[in-house]
Amino acid sequence: MADKDDKRPDHDDQGKGRARGVEIHDARAPSRRNFLKSVGATSLAAATAPAWARVGYVNHDEQEPQDKRADEGEAPAKGTQRITLNVNGQAHTLDVTPNMVLLDVLRHQLALTGTKKGCDIGQCGACTVHVNGVSINSCLSLAVMHDGDEVTTVEGLGQNGKLHPIQQAFLDHDAYQCGYCTPGQMMSAVAILNDAEVASDDAAVREAMSGNICRCGAYKNILSAIQTARKNV
Amino acid sequence: MTETIIGHRTTRVDGELKLTGKADYTSDHNLPNQAYGYPVPSTIACGKLLELDIDEARQAPGVIEIVHRGNFPQLQPSDNNPACGTAARLYRSPSTMAEQNKVGEVRLPFEDDGIHYEGQYIALVVADTFEHARAAARLVKARYEVHEAVPGLFSTDDEGEEAGDEAVSRGDPAGAYETAPVKLDQTYTIAMETHMAMEMHASIATWEDDRLTIYESTQGVVFQRNALAQIFGIPPEKVTVIAHYIGSGFGSKLFMWPHAVMTAVASRMVGRPVKTVLSRQQNFCNAGNRPASRQHVRMAADRDGKLLSIRHDSQNETSFIDSYTESIGSGTPRAYACDNVSVSQRRVQVNHGTPTSMRAPGEVSGSVALEIAMDELAIELGMDPLELRRKNFAERDPTADLPWSGNHLRECWDDASRRFGWEKRNPEIGSMRDGHEIIGWGMADATWEAMRSHCKARVELRADGKVQVACGTQDIGTGTYTIVAQTAAELTGVPLSRIEVKLGDSMLPAGPLSGGSMATATVLPAVAGATRDVIEQLKQIAIADGAPFAGKEADSLEFKNGELSDGSRSVSFVDILNAVPRGMVEGEASAAPGDEQDKFSFRSFGAHFVEIRWDPGISRLRVSRVVSTIDIGRAINPLTAKNQVEGAIVMGMGMGMFEETEYDPAGNIYNNNYADYVVPVHADIPDIEVELLDNPDYNFNEFGARGVGEIGITGMAAAISNAVYHATGKRIRDMPIKIADLID
Amino acid sequence: MRNFAYQRAGNVTQAYTLHGNDNSADFIAGGTNLIDMVKLDIMRPERLVDVNLLPLTEIEELDDGRLKIGALVTNTDLAYDERVTTRYPVLSEALLAGASTQLRNVATTAGNVMQRTRCPYFRNPSRPCNKREPGSGCGALDGINRNHAVLGGSDKCIAVHPSDMCVGMQALGATITVEGPDGPREIPFEEYHLLPGDTPEREHDLRDGELITHVTLDAPIEGAKSHYLKLRDRMSFEFALASCAAVVALDGDTIREARIALGGIATKPWRSHEAEAALKGKPATEATFQQAAEAALAGAVPHRDAAFKIPLAKQAIVRALSTVTR
Repeated sequence: MADKDDKRPDHDDQGKGRARGVEIHDARAPSRRNFLKSVGATSLAAATAPAWARVGYVNHDEQEPQDKRADEGEAPAKGTQRITLNVNGQAHTLDVTPNMVLLDVLRHQLALTGTKKGCDIGQCGACTVHVNGVSINSCLSLAVMHDGDEVTTVEGLGQNGKLHPIQQAFLDHDAYQCGYCTPGQMMSAVAILNDAEVASDDAAVREAMSGNICRCGAYKNILSAIQTARKNV
Repeated sequence: MTETIIGHRTTRVDGELKLTGKADYTSDHNLPNQAYGYPVPSTIACGKLLELDIDEARQAPGVIEIVHRGNFPQLQPSDNNPACGTAARLYRSPSTMAEQNKVGEVRLPFEDDGIHYEGQYIALVVADTFEHARAAARLVKARYEVHEAVPGLFSTDDEGEEAGDEAVSRGDPAGAYETAPVKLDQTYTIAMETHMAMEMHASIATWEDDRLTIYESTQGVVFQRNALAQIFGIPPEKVTVIAHYIGSGFGSKLFMWPHAVMTAVASRMVGRPVKTVLSRQQNFCNAGNRPASRQHVRMAADRDGKLLSIRHDSQNETSFIDSYTESIGSGTPRAYACDNVSVSQRRVQVNHGTPTSMRAPGEVSGSVALEIAMDELAIELGMDPLELRRKNFAERDPTADLPWSGNHLRECWDDASRRFGWEKRNPEIGSMRDGHEIIGWGMADATWEAMRSHCKARVELRADGKVQVACGTQDIGTGTYTIVAQTAAELTGVPLSRIEVKLGDSMLPAGPLSGGSMATATVLPAVAGATRDVIEQLKQIAIADGAPFAGKEADSLEFKNGELSDGSRSVSFVDILNAVPRGMVEGEASAAPGDEQDKFSFRSFGAHFVEIRWDPGISRLRVSRVVSTIDIGRAINPLTAKNQVEGAIVMGMGMGMFEETEYDPAGNIYNNNYADYVVPVHADIPDIEVELLDNPDYNFNEFGARGVGEIGITGMAAAISNAVYHATGKRIRDMPIKIADLID
Repeated sequence: MRNFAYQRAGNVTQAYTLHGNDNSADFIAGGTNLIDMVKLDIMRPERLVDVNLLPLTEIEELDDGRLKIGALVTNTDLAYDERVTTRYPVLSEALLAGASTQLRNVATTAGNVMQRTRCPYFRNPSRPCNKREPGSGCGALDGINRNHAVLGGSDKCIAVHPSDMCVGMQALGATITVEGPDGPREIPFEEYHLLPGDTPEREHDLRDGELITHVTLDAPIEGAKSHYLKLRDRMSFEFALASCAAVVALDGDTIREARIALGGIATKPWRSHEAEAALKGKPATEATFQQAAEAALAGAVPHRDAAFKIPLAKQAIVRALSTVTR
């Protein structure tokens, strides 16, 4: 993989590279919740080691993550841009068309199918992931805009084979039924528990969680699980 | 057995998979060389497809094929359709419950050029990536001849067609009504609802020669297998339907919809797997709905509140291509003791997609009218609404003229009303206040028939210490994996951690639909039978020559805690199976309802008590408290069972206050998404306190379980409406209750 | 979703240069509204210019007491900014009443100003809509119009402006700074969004190629209190059926200064000068509030399904005023 900075035109090189876009370093001050930090993704060359090529959850259909082209050192195909996504601590370099959405890239290219599609237009929350620590709807985010970003999905919640406290609480409180909205519920819950701006009372949690619809209606248990996990997060 | 696992709050055995993202729902599968299908829906509600222009789409990047009427296998080979291949001939599924091949829409995709509802498929674009398929689908152009649509039940004068088999009549309801001192004659309506399961409908089809494998988000792998076999004219053994995890269905996934057929055909055409995931918008039009309904209730009582007559005449929407009957009055003849009852049902054709079962189909709609009517009657009589119900308690099933197997409705009333504090209710309208808010208290009964069906199951004991249970039913989120594991653990004494449950595959022993609250009562007896069978098989192995219990009688051996024992010595099944070549032993069983069906009437009962808060200054209505007591016999797993009732209560709030699939005067859908079709969110959730009584119904099955999925939603919308009346004095008979109905 | 080209701009000049006054190009920031509409096929950009690297993420207090908000400040950052929560609480409340946590984390200030209507006829490419396709008709006028405007509509369009944030800003008073090939210019917030009239496709006073760089809030009114009240079917994650941002300063019991803005009922974030006139100099009583509410809705048009929003909006006004003067 070419060093990331190599493919960046200089600061003044505006107007060039329409196909690949113009990438400019920028010295703007960081915002507390600024997840769109496309700059600062420093050398990820080490991540091209074969080890990551097949990581992540690959289901039993044995689909391979579709980032082989980058792996093999070829230039991005026409109409695609090469990005690096750091997902659950693993770097993935892949070529995406501009209309590829983060959710679809996670599910199709990286076989990280724990993140779910429930509406595809930001109305249900099933696709919630963390980008640079902030919860977002991955269905309303272009993959190309996440070059260098740190993405955490449900597959990255637990550590060392141990359930994250929120996962344990969801298990103990039966905070789900069909389980389809559950990854999104948990990703929102973790973000809320880590957010000092969201008060700890039930009403505040309910309000902050309202972007995650559970059609099975397991809301009562979800709330209980979040309030229990609060002590362990 | 050292401990009882059945009846205990057991966390889900599939919980970790669901919580780590590893549970494989249909669209999580990506098969090698898979192509993506993206449907193109009709944009008109009624008319004819005159011309389909696919040229531009065909040229779009990545497009492999466009499936449409011109190249789709025809029901009847047609001279003017030369594109129809000879091998490609399809049949309609007979679509019967008895043959287990019922489908949601009998018409095959592209069967004719008629457009019967908006969203009806006119093409399927198949491309190498999802992005390409979706982009190309936008390029397909259609020209229609537009006919005037019937936009819905409430905008047509059509009385509809009588569904004769729904009619019930006893006594002389008209005569009794005429002479009765207290009467009620009201009409109630319910808007169309959409299931909105979080997981969108999806199919992934792949062919290997003439064998079809299809991953489908379905509540019935066996039904779908049988239906596909009928449609493709191949033996059921050549079709495999897989649904390991289902992002729920609430009925919308019971019976197969056209996208599955379209996807299977597309896969055969392009010679590679095809994955089609319906968009959320498409889920609204093509995969069923709870039809809009209108109910006319005439009810009469004597001055003491004794019911003298109930007439319950209903209409439901159906499509122009299927006859769907919503059995709205089916619970009415059994709900209360009343000698003079009649029920009827009519179907009215409208330009919507075909309706289907949605959680507690029929009865929940009926409960809206009946339970509001009871409240109205109580007001008319000056009686407490609970007291009126007590007065009309049915001591036995008045329709079947059978004793109830277990009717604990009175206990439910007692328990829920006590916990709610019903005796503190001031019956005067608007009398209970808290700051800006007026508090309203209402109640309603809940009820659902207990059903049981046929089922097979297989249990294997293995030398690796595992017990594997297999059944061709599925877990739609109700906890079937867990209760099956509990059952096997209970009967073998093997811990849950060593029980493996395989569901959601039509190659497994045939299991039931996950619907109608019947899976538990249907599946567990088969699992128990297979478990007992495998234990017997194990004993036979253990008493063979050279085996640990050689020479003993099988009957003298006991199996517990995973060990066979003759009283003096115990040997684990692992040791016994290690000595046999296969290293495993399997048992099978079938289970079916028996003659108990002729002796008892099986039905579950419950009661909801609801507190609403109405702020007239800002016209804000919210439910603040729900206390429910439900009798479902034995809850195999109270943790998951209670969760289901709580979830049904939430869906009942949706029915009462939010949910309404709207079609505009042109017959076009208005709110086909999660933002405009309003369902409850976290912030709407009140305090919900559910108690499940524990009265095992051993007449029904050996576990005493009657099922739990539907009952919680019945009565909820009525209880809310009754509470709203108590707070506001406004009697809302049209669901959902909207701000416009209440604003001063 | 159709495909498009994607470009990234590093500064404001680059942004509008890349855009190039080309009406097939759109700017993208958070994308929560734009990607939604591209997926629905109701916007079909051939080129997207990503403006997220522009140095517009700051909130700055100006010497004259105003607050200058960068176009890229997210709704979440703005809602929780201490200068906003203390000096402009109505804006914080409005922001937090909108959308969901996840959407607010991404949606930007300028993006919210540019947010397009939720009218289901607009959002479905197979429906008639004069805003999306001038001359095609309005599906809502004779169709279902519960979510539609009772104020500011025309015989061409009754689509509601959906933003909560803008209602808060409308009440506070603000200036929108835009920049394009002709340099920067300032537009009073109240003049930025346009009434549909005969040209519902023209939604704002932004010239081709221009982009919003800042929204600057007026200095807070001395001694004023404020409140945002949003009414809807469910308790959260739903657009307003009616909402009211009220900013009131009292002298004793007399209303010295009042600002009233309304959401959910109008074709643009609606500032009601009529209501404000009915309040100023009057005693802060329920009767005054009722008069203000009547004045605000005096010109309202009760479309079939939306008629209830007239009394509902009045209730929002009265309750918001009661709350803020309590």
